[in-house]
Amino acid sequence: MQEGKPLNSRQVNRELLVSILNSPKWFFGALAVLGFIVLVAMSTAGFMINQGFGVTGLNRPVMWGFFITNFVFWIGISHAGVMLSAILRLSKAEWRRPATRAAEILTVFSLMTAMTMPLIHTGRPWRTVYWIYTLPFVPYDYARGIWPNIRTPLVWDPSAVYTYLTSSILFVLIALIPDFAVLRDRTTGISHRIYGMLAMGWQGNARQWKLQIIAGVLLSALILPVFVSVHSIVSWDFGMAVSVKSWHSTIFAPYFVVGAVHSGVSAVALVLIILRYIYGWQNYIRHEHIDALARLLIVVATGWFYFFVMEVIFGFYGREADEIAVRDLQFTVSPWNIWMMIFVGLTYFAPVAIWLSRSARRNLWIMSLACIIVNIGMWLERFLIIVPGLARKQLLTFDWYTYRPSSVEWIIIIGTFALVSMLMLTIARVAPLIPLYDIKEAEILRTEIKIGRVTVPATFRED
Amino acid sequence: MWVFPDVTVMSREVTEKTKSSPKPFTIALVAAGILFILGIVGFIARAVGDGFGEIGPWGYYIAVFSMVFMVTGAAPLVSVAFRFTKSHWRRPLSRVSELFAIVGILNLLMFIPLMFLLPSIGNPEAAVGGELAVRRTIWLEGPIGAPHAWDLVGVIGVVVTSMFILWLSALPDMAECRHTATGFRRWLYSKLSGNWYGTKRQWNAQKAGLALLGAFYFMTLIFVQFLISSDYAQSLIPGWKDSIFPVIYTITSLQMGFGSILVTLFIIRRWGGYEGYIGKSTFWSGSKVLLGITLLWVYHLFAFFITFWYGRLEIEQNVLKYLVTDTYAIVFLFNLAFSFALPFAVLIWNPVRRSAWGPALAGALVIIGGIMFNIRIFVGAANAAPGSNLYHGIMEHVPAPVYPDIWDVLMVIGGIGAGVFVFLLATRLLPILAIWEVKEGALYQKWGKLLRGEYLILGKPE
Amino acid sequence: MAKEPILGLFETADNAADAGDALKAAGVPQADYDFLTDTPYPEGAFGERHESHRLYIFPFVGALIGLTVGIMLTSMTQLAYPLVQGGKPILSMPPMAVVTYESTMLTAIVFTIIGIIFESRLPSFKQGLYDTRITEGYIGVLVNVDEGQLTQTQTLLTQAGAIDVVRK
Repeated sequence: MQEGKPLNSRQVNRELLVSILNSPKWFFGALAVLGFIVLVAMSTAGFMINQGFGVTGLNRPVMWGFFITNFVFWIGISHAGVMLSAILRLSKAEWRRPATRAAEILTVFSLMTAMTMPLIHTGRPWRTVYWIYTLPFVPYDYARGIWPNIRTPLVWDPSAVYTYLTSSILFVLIALIPDFAVLRDRTTGISHRIYGMLAMGWQGNARQWKLQIIAGVLLSALILPVFVSVHSIVSWDFGMAVSVKSWHSTIFAPYFVVGAVHSGVSAVALVLIILRYIYGWQNYIRHEHIDALARLLIVVATGWFYFFVMEVIFGFYGREADEIAVRDLQFTVSPWNIWMMIFVGLTYFAPVAIWLSRSARRNLWIMSLACIIVNIGMWLERFLIIVPGLARKQLLTFDWYTYRPSSVEWIIIIGTFALVSMLMLTIARVAPLIPLYDIKEAEILRTEIKIGRVTVPATFRED
Repeated sequence: MWVFPDVTVMSREVTEKTKSSPKPFTIALVAAGILFILGIVGFIARAVGDGFGEIGPWGYYIAVFSMVFMVTGAAPLVSVAFRFTKSHWRRPLSRVSELFAIVGILNLLMFIPLMFLLPSIGNPEAAVGGELAVRRTIWLEGPIGAPHAWDLVGVIGVVVTSMFILWLSALPDMAECRHTATGFRRWLYSKLSGNWYGTKRQWNAQKAGLALLGAFYFMTLIFVQFLISSDYAQSLIPGWKDSIFPVIYTITSLQMGFGSILVTLFIIRRWGGYEGYIGKSTFWSGSKVLLGITLLWVYHLFAFFITFWYGRLEIEQNVLKYLVTDTYAIVFLFNLAFSFALPFAVLIWNPVRRSAWGPALAGALVIIGGIMFNIRIFVGAANAAPGSNLYHGIMEHVPAPVYPDIWDVLMVIGGIGAGVFVFLLATRLLPILAIWEVKEGALYQKWGKLLRGEYLILGKPE
Repeated sequence: MAKEPILGLFETADNAADAGDALKAAGVPQADYDFLTDTPYPEGAFGERHESHRLYIFPFVGALIGLTVGIMLTSMTQLAYPLVQGGKPILSMPPMAVVTYESTMLTAIVFTIIGIIFESRLPSFKQGLYDTRITEGYIGVLVNVDEGQLTQTQTLLTQAGAIDVVRK
């Protein structure tokens, strides 16, 4: 698992800090394009808030459509950070090293982007100030002391998302301290002062490194339960509802969490391939890392498929007319059944078939394609859970509706993808997306064992 | 933490221990045998007294079948899973986990009465007064053979696959011992090891075979656990529509299986003389896995509970009252304590996880928790809707708890004793340590110096 | 007498470890010298002193505070405006458990972060003797000795293989 050539500190610094210290020429152009798309999306959102929700395709009973689908999608993408960073750190997988920082930062930005969705979905976003849950706690109505009702998943949601967001940001910042120290030593002027402040006087003595290692493990262990709870609570936005038949399923929590891991890890794999290409990080993001991610994804995808099958089987189990109506829409009515087939194909069968082949796993073009189709499939999955359920919400067929998203919704969705890309590109200019010390540590711990005529790569382990 | 066994004496030492029958072992075997016999007595008494017409009196029997099925099903999965992740710490526990496959034969025997006990899917009487013509099951309208034949095929599939995995994994060890073994063992090893000589081709084939069989076993086991948990529990409680229950069942089985392995490892390390082969690193890593499974268990339980609790639907509230808050509340509390609270309290401490006794204690606790789980679910399911109530859409009245009588107690302890008895016999047949696997591990692990410190060096074969 | 810092820079980890041996042999207490690196070495690799810490107290304290705040927040707000919603009791345990769990984890994590920063003796506004070449891969051996022993220590570090010795 150690196919790379040996690297010294100077080379690691030079190559991994290229995105910060030697910005490529295309950087500002790319930022401008993405920024423009984000501006267009923001203007469209402003237009929607001004004109009202009539400009979207939302109508009774399908009151949740593209925006909520997108919200759940981005929350899902945010799960990659903890999956790769925490679980692989706890299991001491060596191949996690180049992936953790990018995954953690993707987590933070996708969470922030996800939060914009319910914000604009309120139609009157200024009223969400009543919902703000962090200290000091604010009642809806001061005069009558009406407090937010905690007996609803819509209030559990912000508590979970804010907890996860705060934890992820703090986790990233703590892990960045040694890298800020490197940047402090490599820059001058105002950058030097800012990095100096962020590095907090880091020297790199044994005590600081010991605590940095313990921090990684301890915070991973603490964030892991939070990560599981976040998407579970988001799933309970649907799972608690008894009025929408296909939603009220006990399996929603783990189903959504595994789905989130599936889409998130695929997204991180794609981000790593892109970073390798745009910054020339072939020494750091090697084929073995993408191979390992793909093998992890086979397991995650299979787990997801199991939960999906359980959800569908038990949808039919009750043989209740209103639930059968939803399933009928999903599986027999065009175009929903076509979307359903595309979704299952893109999310499980096609990518897993690709990942079962070693040569395909090590081909970065094929892997990029596989990761993209997984995310298209997972976006469709959320859409096919949310909309058909609402479209057949009651047994009263006159109330059934066919949802068609408007261009306003499309623009805003595309805007969120541009927003995350723009934020990732911006942060690559400010902080290294591959942890420097992690890579250097791998070099120190790298060794070999001779067995007969063969030399097997090995690592030193403290426990 | 880490041990570096002397591979030159390993084969001889382990085979000698396999052949020997020290006094404590004999006592344990006899005690387990007595419990086994008592279990048979209880079974016969129940059969004579109540027959196989009604499922109600057999709740405890189904619970003990499920216990044995859970442990024997999930245990081999542990070696499959950690072989897949190439974790070195799994090597001492591989054979222990695979030997549970032999106890799977007990599963088959115990399952036979269950086929007669399961009520038919179709309502034998006409669907009058709002009754369902076909009760709610995963088989929907009930295709041919469902559910009995398919459940039987599933259980056979699980047992046979796990036995194949055991055979394939033990092949090199049997080949090594076939010339030095005597008596029955010699005959058995000669027959089962075939033409194994340890050529490169044979090793590669074994590796590929274990990987493929492992993947197949994993899928089969999860599927069969879904069948058993749905047919013998969920579908017997009217109104219990719960997509997460098969998952909770699987997780409980993983918990019990892993707990059993840790307890067994502790016993053989402490009293079996295997201290030189089983380092604390196995317990250290295993404890993290058990902690993770324990947390997963309570998470899934909470997901089930809060979804049912929230909607205030009578159909779901009655299920909660029956299984959680009213009828089997005491059993539920014990289940929660032994499957989550106590193991969590034990495993959260680093020094405890670094010891051998800590994870083993947690393993013992989760086994008790699993027993409580099975009693709550299967006794509850068997007695939820007697007679034609089973064909109602909802459990109208929450039944009272069913306490065990003497035959139930004998069947439960007998079932557990039978499992232990068969496992102990299995340890006389095959070495309890996978000799080839531990020797392979010794090639990739050594103690080395880095600057002024000494650390473990772990090779990463591909 | 006041102790003064002196920093020796070494190109290889072996030379830095040799310097550590030499300092130990010269009777310099282990508490008076540190190894500065740009990457974590396994504990004890340089023969350095064992660093003890009490980091684990922080998440426990944080969790207790979060648990208390969560229970108080959820129960007191429900009792302050008791509105039966969806047939659920006023003090509903499962939703309380969800919000209390989140507040427990959040406070545990925040306190852990505070603990990490505190136990690392950060922020260190006066950084002390340091050289930017450390983040280029050089290993610094930072020694605090009496003023009168600085020259002796400099000689010791140079003999151990230091490519440069920096004084304040």
